[in-house]
Amino acid sequence: MSSPEDRIVVVPCSGIGKTFGSVSREAAYEVCDELRPDATRLLALSKLVLGDDEARERVRTGRSITIDGCKLMCAAKLVRQRGGVPVREVAVLDVYRDHKDLKPDGIAELNEAGTRLARVVAEEIADTIDQVRAGPTAREPSHA
Amino acid sequence: MPEYLETTLDKFTFRVATDRRYSSDGIWLLDLGGGRLRAGVTDFVQQHSGDVAFATVRAAGTTIAAGDEFADLETVKVNLGLPLPIAGTIVEINPALEASPEVVNQDPYGDGWLAVVQAPGWEEARDGLLDPRAYLSVMQSQVAQELNQP
Repeated sequence: MSSPEDRIVVVPCSGIGKTFGSVSREAAYEVCDELRPDATRLLALSKLVLGDDEARERVRTGRSITIDGCKLMCAAKLVRQRGGVPVREVAVLDVYRDHKDLKPDGIAELNEAGTRLARVVAEEIADTIDQVRAGPTAREPSHA
Repeated sequence: MPEYLETTLDKFTFRVATDRRYSSDGIWLLDLGGGRLRAGVTDFVQQHSGDVAFATVRAAGTTIAAGDEFADLETVKVNLGLPLPIAGTIVEINPALEASPEVVNQDPYGDGWLAVVQAPGWEEARDGLLDPRAYLSVMQSQVAQELNQP
């Protein structure tokens, strides 16, 4: 188990009202609640937008992974604007391009394909977390 | 760099490049000379359709009749078949579309072009297409219709 300071901060995009944004949040929940609960810490993007000091410090000094629904990459940009360097910037749209059969639909509640896509995203992030924790901290982000 | 007409409707701003012709479906054609036309979608089409997940253009060498589809866009919201406004043969496909189809969203009038078409009838067909001001007007009507939908 990691100390709270060592945990990797997972920052999903807000994407409220957008299907791919919902996938990013669902994936973040899966990572932080189920797959790697002891190694991660979920951070709401809105805290960075609002300039919350603790949230800013967490991404500035710690390791982070961002998950964005679309290629505007709002979460990744916000983390960088607040002084952080994500170890990985995931775009759900890129993951979907590799899993065309998993077309997400729905907003408040994802369809089955969307839930499965979120799981794929979450598993990729879990792998990244394992790699990051096993080796030296990456400074250059890798895109999904 | 093209110049643009611009209109803001509700919270959305749409641009129309002034150096090309349009169909009412939101396909633009830029004259490259010698009957070669670069084709793409308008800012309105890309904003209205959402993030592009896949962009597929018919193979180079394919001859397209006027009004037939020359490309498909699959976005996060819709699947769009794109009709070519005039007859022509696909001679080039934007190589960026395969790895980065989001370029259609990011730069619809520039790097987000879809195909180059050889169109022998361009000189005759050009006047049947919309100039930028005419397309702007058509697009404004389409946006207003969308906004007025319940």
